[in-house]
Amino acid sequence: MLASLSPQSARINPPQIVTEPPLLRAHGIVRRYGRRIAVDDVSLDVYAGEVVGIVGESGSGKSTLLRVLNLEETPEAGSYRLRAAPKLYETDLLSLGRFEKRTVQIHHIGVVYQNPHLGLRMRFSSSGNVAERLLIAGERSFAALREAARESLSASEFPIARMDDPPRVLSGGMQQRVQLAKALALKPALLLLDEPTTGLDVSIQALVLDTLKRLQRERRLAIVLVSHDLGVIRTLADRVMVMRDGHVVESGLTDQILDDPQHPYTQQLVHAKL
Amino acid sequence: MTALSSLTAPQQPYSYGYLDAHAKRELRRRMLKAIAVPGYQVPYASRELPIARGWGTGGLQVTLALVGPESIVKVIDQGADDSVNAANLRRFIARMSGAATTTDAVAATLLQSRHRIPEERMREGQVLILQVPDPEPLRAVQPDMSKSAQMHADADYGQMWLSLYEQLVRFKQYIQGASYPSLVNGRHIISPSPIPRWDTPKLHLASHLTILSAGREKRIYAVPPYTTVAPLEFSDVPFQVEDQSGRACRTTGVRNRFMNEIPQTDGTSQFELSDSGYAEKLANGIMPASTYYDENGEFYHAGILKPAVRPD
Amino acid sequence: MYIAAKGGEEAIQQSEHLYHLLNGELTIDTVRMIEKSMPYLVDRVMGEGSLYSPELAALAIAQTGGDLYEAVLLLRAYRATQPRLAYAQPIEPGEVLTVRRISAAFKDIPGGQVLGPSLDYSHRLLKLDVLDGTREPQEAFQPAEQPAPPAYPPVAGWLREQGLLAEAKADATQAADIPDVTTENVLFPAPRPHRLQAMARADTGGVLSLGYSIMRGYGLIHPTVNELRLGHAEVTLTHPVTGEKFSAGRVRVSQCEVVSPGGDEKGYAIGFAATLGWNEVKLIAASTLDLDMASQDGDGAKHPAHEEEFVMYHTEPVESSGFCIHFKLPHYVTFASGLDNIRKVIQATYG
Repeated sequence: MLASLSPQSARINPPQIVTEPPLLRAHGIVRRYGRRIAVDDVSLDVYAGEVVGIVGESGSGKSTLLRVLNLEETPEAGSYRLRAAPKLYETDLLSLGRFEKRTVQIHHIGVVYQNPHLGLRMRFSSSGNVAERLLIAGERSFAALREAARESLSASEFPIARMDDPPRVLSGGMQQRVQLAKALALKPALLLLDEPTTGLDVSIQALVLDTLKRLQRERRLAIVLVSHDLGVIRTLADRVMVMRDGHVVESGLTDQILDDPQHPYTQQLVHAKL
Repeated sequence: MTALSSLTAPQQPYSYGYLDAHAKRELRRRMLKAIAVPGYQVPYASRELPIARGWGTGGLQVTLALVGPESIVKVIDQGADDSVNAANLRRFIARMSGAATTTDAVAATLLQSRHRIPEERMREGQVLILQVPDPEPLRAVQPDMSKSAQMHADADYGQMWLSLYEQLVRFKQYIQGASYPSLVNGRHIISPSPIPRWDTPKLHLASHLTILSAGREKRIYAVPPYTTVAPLEFSDVPFQVEDQSGRACRTTGVRNRFMNEIPQTDGTSQFELSDSGYAEKLANGIMPASTYYDENGEFYHAGILKPAVRPD
Repeated sequence: MYIAAKGGEEAIQQSEHLYHLLNGELTIDTVRMIEKSMPYLVDRVMGEGSLYSPELAALAIAQTGGDLYEAVLLLRAYRATQPRLAYAQPIEPGEVLTVRRISAAFKDIPGGQVLGPSLDYSHRLLKLDVLDGTREPQEAFQPAEQPAPPAYPPVAGWLREQGLLAEAKADATQAADIPDVTTENVLFPAPRPHRLQAMARADTGGVLSLGYSIMRGYGLIHPTVNELRLGHAEVTLTHPVTGEKFSAGRVRVSQCEVVSPGGDEKGYAIGFAATLGWNEVKLIAASTLDLDMASQDGDGAKHPAHEEEFVMYHTEPVESSGFCIHFKLPHYVTFASGLDNIRKVIQATYG
């Protein structure tokens, strides 16, 4: 076979699909708490502009995996790379120190939690919550901070007249929009969503999902979406990973997994929702 | 025959300067470290003293570790030399060290102060020792000291800036009063004693050494001579000192100094100089040294204080 | 020659004279009476003052008119100036000359329960006849038929032999090398000796308050008193020349151990506290705090009382009381600084 690779044949390249490498590449992630293994050897690739959904019941390890991807937790094993900035891809993010991790987190990763208390300072102004990311990044002009907060909040379809209201007086849907504006304030390449619409009214949920979908399309965001709500997964996700007891039991295209589940556990999940 | 007792020093109930040699050595080492890393809070053991914690034990330990028979000591409490606490500390320092005392900020070599810097410019070779109740500028955003230490290490000051942002959003001005958080040497944010904002710029590129010491919280930090001290401010909304305009001292008639406000029964206020040593000089017709602020309220370093801006 | 202003000095001297005038005369008789008849009060001041000297503690109580925070400060300030001549040998529980030791974990324990002196089962009735001049009869105290042994094996030893306790980590640290909270700066997480020393000299009321919050419902554990022990301990020193060990005297000590199921660890986990003097309530609370703090090491605490930094800072009697009373000092400069802002905001907002 090698002999057939003559210099001439090497010049005539066969047609190939030109792809860029994945934006996020996590490999062999293992996270233990004492004797319990929360995430057991999970690998995940996400491309720019792609939404990967992770489904599973509570305790399946999906939220732990998300915290690892947000650099909030350090796993016992695995590697994690982000192609978010030149040179950054050469580094395993898990090997970084506290200070560097925070820098990557601030500049390249946005996150929206189910519980707004985790993502927001409830007594500070909404605009301040958004501006904080810019402040950490070194912005020192008050006018520029106001403008950036206004821009990011509008992009999240948050009513600008209320930009200085603290999140604690806002509705659940509005709080999620503030979280989203904060997450996207520094235009990160990766967005992590942890049950972003769980607990919202169905009509509000649909509006927030619309905003998410539009921003994802416009900004070509890579999104990892954790949810137990298969409706949300179907609306947003291109691909799905099903987790149980820290393992990935099945993964594939969203339609394929939800319409024709192969693994008994996935079948059970899908049927429970119907 | 020489009696053995004649060869030894007579028994003293306490060491010179009250503190034992080990405590003094520790304090001096911590001070050197604090000077080497301006604005960094150096932890120290902090001995109990015969005055209550929270009453200047931090400043007093530093003074006692520095004082010598040749020292000239001035003690200030809220600007005054004659308040009971200042009198008490001065009495103790003099009793334990034999040092001379003064109310003249220029004559003093060691100035221990609770919450004021004198109006007259301090000079090289003088040491200003500021008493500090709470050394941690991040306390309001992070009460846990092990976590705030980590934030200093990372220069993780986003939350401090956020609290300034919030003040501007809510009040259109900074509302931090005394102890205005300031960045020292471009690296560490400090809580300046609580001196009023009027005194904060006096630390910037100062000729003298400032040592700040919190006895209860067991931290020493320093602003060495000629070190930058920048009150936190946004580039388009400048930091402001307390407004002293329209105020004249009721005894000396002087203006543009930090004033004590004395409420009157008729609902008005009168004013008097907060710096009692400076007032004493004026009253006795002694020519004071150059002051940090001139008669028109202009600060001696040009360009440090800027006119107020109200943000939109 | 520079002489500072005198006005304030005269005032504070008169204030101090008046205070002492109202407290009655300070005499050696008062000091001896306090030392003899109020041992628990003296013990508490010695424990928090971390200086064992009943005579000086009684003097401090008399001199301050019984203001305990002031008395503790007097002892501490005196202690801070005293040289460290030598470090005593650690006191093993099995060597304490025990007058009272009880275990709530077992009905009976090797060596037996020793009730010793206690008000635990007394009726809390004021003896009003004493006020009428009736002399309180000294109830005939019946000595035990057989003299009790001077020392008892620790209950923890029995649990350990049964394999019910996580194995104690052997610590070969020399007495002189044990970190000393009074001469070193404390950083967190603090070494365990710092934690135990801080609790030994902590404010009784403060420790009780935080310990009680854990016992009542904010705790992670349910403590059982494995052993509470009051007794006398030999202060054993090593002669600097001959190297021989000798006793410099005996001190009253209390020790307390509480246990709770150890979670991930094998068997039971132990919380421990000890102090100079006899102070049972403080030690039960302190050992409970110790156990709860240990179970939180390296993890996010759920309640401030589980957190070492919170407990150590806020139960320190001299610091907490000093800072509290410092609010009596004038604050008019800092107040003026805030007032300036308030006025500007009012003017800008309300015209």
